[in-house]
Amino acid sequence: MLEPFALAIVDSSLTQWIQANYWLWPILEIAHFMGLSLLIGGLLIVDLNLVGLLQLRQSATHKLLPIVVIGFGINLVTGILFFYGEPMRYAVNIGFQIKMCLICLAGLNALFYHYKMGPLMADWNSASPPPLAKLIAVTSLTAWTGVLLFGRLIPYVGTG
Amino acid sequence: MFIWLENTSLALWVSGSYYAYPALLSLHIVGLAIVVGLACMQDLKLLGLFSTLELERHLALVKLALAGFCLNLLSGLLLFSSQASYLVTSVPFLFKISAIATAMVVSVLIQSRIKSTQPASSSVKVLALASLLLWSSAIIAGRLIAYV
Repeated sequence: MLEPFALAIVDSSLTQWIQANYWLWPILEIAHFMGLSLLIGGLLIVDLNLVGLLQLRQSATHKLLPIVVIGFGINLVTGILFFYGEPMRYAVNIGFQIKMCLICLAGLNALFYHYKMGPLMADWNSASPPPLAKLIAVTSLTAWTGVLLFGRLIPYVGTG
Repeated sequence: MFIWLENTSLALWVSGSYYAYPALLSLHIVGLAIVVGLACMQDLKLLGLFSTLELERHLALVKLALAGFCLNLLSGLLLFSSQASYLVTSVPFLFKISAIATAMVVSVLIQSRIKSTQPASSSVKVLALASLLLWSSAIIAGRLIAYV
C-alpha cells in the first residue's frame, strides 16, 4: 500500500530538499522527540486516570488534550517530512509499518472514546471508572508504548 | 577506566549482541517519554496552564516519573558502557548528562516548594521554566550525539 505512494514521491523536490540539508534531519528528530514527550506525557495522565489510578476529575484531565493534540501535530508534520526524506526506506520497513498500524489503532480507540464513551463519562467523577473506559485506556497506553518501541527500532529492522 | 568498562562482559554483550543495543534504545525512548512527558505537564501546570488539574505533589505521578528515570538510568548506563571511551569525549553527551543532572536537582527543588492548594509562586515558575529548558536541552544534546 505504501510502496506505490513512495515511488510516486521519491523524485519530488521536497525529497531532494530534505536530503540536501544535513542539519534538517537532526532538527526534525529533535522536534519529533519533543512532540512525543508532549503527546505521551499528556496521555499518560489522561489514561492512567481513566484506569482509576490517579483519582483526578476526568473533566480536569481533559484540559491536557490540547497539549496532546499539539504534540501529535508536531509529530505528524515531522513524520511526513521523514517519510518524504527517505520514502523507499520507510515504505518497506516492518518497524515503520507496525508503528503506523498502532497509530491507527490508537486513533480509532480515541475516536471511539470521544463519540461513544464521552457522553456516558460526563458525570463520572473518578470514583470507579466503568470497565469499558479502563479497556480503552489500557488499549491507548499499550498502543502508544508500541509506537515508541517500533519507532525506535525502524533503523534496526528489515523489510516487511 | 572507560576502556576497562567497555571490556566488561556486560558491555561486550551490549555491543556484541544483535538485539541488545536496539532493545535498550527502545526502552530508553519509553523512559524519555515518561520522564520528560510528566515533567513537561507539571511545568506547564505550574506556569499557569490547566488551572483546575491538580498535578502538584501527586504521589503516583512522582513515582511513575521516578520509575521512568530509573529505567533510563539503567538502559543509559548499559548503552554508555558499550561506547564509554568515545562518549566521554563527546561534547553533546557531556552536555546532555549535565542538563539531566541539573534538571533532576530542579525537580527536587520544585517538589520541595509546591503545595497543592496554593497557586505557584513566581520562584516556582522560574524553576518550572528552567525545568522545561533543561529537559529540552537534554533531548537536543542527546540527539546530536549521533551527528556532531
